[in-house]
Amino acid sequence: MPLIKTPPPHGGKLVESVVKKRDIAEKMIAGCPTYELKPTTLPDGTPIRHVYREIMSVCYGFFSPVEGSMVQNELERVLNERRLLSEWIFPYPILFDISEEDYKALDVKEGDRLLLMLKGQPFATLDIEEVYKIDPEDVATRTFGTPEKNPEVVREPFNDKHPGYVIYKMHKPVILAGKYTIVNEPKFKEPFDRFWFPPSKCREVIKNEKKWRTVIAHQTRNVPHVGHEMLMKCAAYTGDIEPCHGILVNAIIGAKRRGDYPDEAILEGHEAVNKYGYIKPERHMVTFTLWDMRYGNPIESLLHGVIRQNMGCTHHMFGRDHAAVGEYYDMYATQILWSEGIPSFGFEAPPNEVDYGLKIIPQNMAEFWYCPVCQEIAYSENCGHTDAKQKFSGSFLRGMVAEGIMPPRVVMRPEVYKQIVKWWKVYNYPFVNRRYLDMKNKELEIDLPAMEVPKA
Amino acid sequence: MPHYIAVYLDDARYEKIKGTPLEEKITYLFGGQLKSLVVEVPEDKSEKILKAFEKARIDSRGYIEDVPVAFRRALFEEIAKAKSLDVIDKVLERLDELVEAAKKEDEYIPPPDIE
Ligand SMILES: [Zn+2]
Repeated sequence: MPLIKTPPPHGGKLVESVVKKRDIAEKMIAGCPTYELKPTTLPDGTPIRHVYREIMSVCYGFFSPVEGSMVQNELERVLNERRLLSEWIFPYPILFDISEEDYKALDVKEGDRLLLMLKGQPFATLDIEEVYKIDPEDVATRTFGTPEKNPEVVREPFNDKHPGYVIYKMHKPVILAGKYTIVNEPKFKEPFDRFWFPPSKCREVIKNEKKWRTVIAHQTRNVPHVGHEMLMKCAAYTGDIEPCHGILVNAIIGAKRRGDYPDEAILEGHEAVNKYGYIKPERHMVTFTLWDMRYGNPIESLLHGVIRQNMGCTHHMFGRDHAAVGEYYDMYATQILWSEGIPSFGFEAPPNEVDYGLKIIPQNMAEFWYCPVCQEIAYSENCGHTDAKQKFSGSFLRGMVAEGIMPPRVVMRPEVYKQIVKWWKVYNYPFVNRRYLDMKNKELEIDLPAMEVPKA
Repeated sequence: MPHYIAVYLDDARYEKIKGTPLEEKITYLFGGQLKSLVVEVPEDKSEKILKAFEKARIDSRGYIEDVPVAFRRALFEEIAKAKSLDVIDKVLERLDELVEAAKKEDEYIPPPDIE
């Protein structure tokens, strides 16, 4: 077996659409019509998405080879076959949506350059290639699938209780399609700044600083308990002639569900795993991607594959109920996709075995629990004492945390728990609540340097 | 059939019941690292609890879950005070106060006192 090497970016080349020279940026935006970005909200005003996160992820290359908001033909191909017009696989519609009223007021057309403002400052441009309308509910339904059309893995019709479905359903109906370019590079606030490794930078760190030949990615939207830690450690035993050199934690940062942990606690909780030696920092590194999670289980796992391959990972671990909420999908939907494919979603074979597919290698993992008979944290496919298992359940832990009980170190590391408490004291609450969502929506993860828009 | 509520003990809580008859009733999870006391709740009383707190539910093992933090904290307070597990009536006497406290828990939960 040949040694595994860092795969190329998805689509062959990393997208990097960030103009760093102020004079060039000023020339680009001179005299452009402007539009202040708005969050996508629920009818009651709860923010559930901010398109700035998608613009960041596109322009810094996390979503390579996607370069901007999709044209109608591309949207259709993604919904029907999960393929871009360039043939490369891609799971989700990426759209710049505005309301009819805003569209009328803006008075822009194909060929125009629109300057997107964020927090009152210039942020990015959108070179409008096409303007078209969508039926958001139809896009939402087709994005996630239906029990009739996708019988392999969809178990229940999607509805308003599914956060990803609602994000697409609440998209505005007018789509401005075209390429994004960041013209005023945002500065990340603490603690986000030290976890920001866009793909080109991440590849450089993996190669030159960490010197990892093989790297396995760990998806997270959670503060890690010891079950997660064991998953990372054990999944990393895959590799080629030796276990993977590195474990890359990539947290999804964006609007969250109530009851999840705050983003800051998630990042610093994972960092505590390496800082306090549970997995040495020589082998473990924490990063994030901006994305308002769609909870699309197999569909989301494709995006995870795209992002982490672009970041330079060779492998990706997938657990059961990957990026899932509720019982819309089969709990093994992601593992089915990566082991045999899901034809109704355009995959006759796993995503890493189709043409124009991914090069990242999946590592499907089962469950970990504490077994009092084995007297160790056991892997479900090893331990035969199923009746005695003591599970690391998220709700059991959340209950203990809310009560202010320090979990035992075999369940959650004390240093990890302290990160939860640290942010609990900041926000007066251990979990995401409405106040946190509103604050986050206002503050975002970034600040923008002041920049004038020159007259044309 | 009675239901149950598990009360988890960290070191601070354990100190408060150490040396009392409760110590014998501790059950150990996760290789002895997690101590808990199991309170039995007669069915008519568990109904009262479910009625008072809309998120509360009975899980597949018959445990009452998702009760407010205020309720759980009160339950331990009464256990520590009485040095007994037979305290559910005492807790239910405080139900009105706990329902009020629980209403604020979407907004604020007091953080634990650690550095
Ligand atoms: Zn066992």
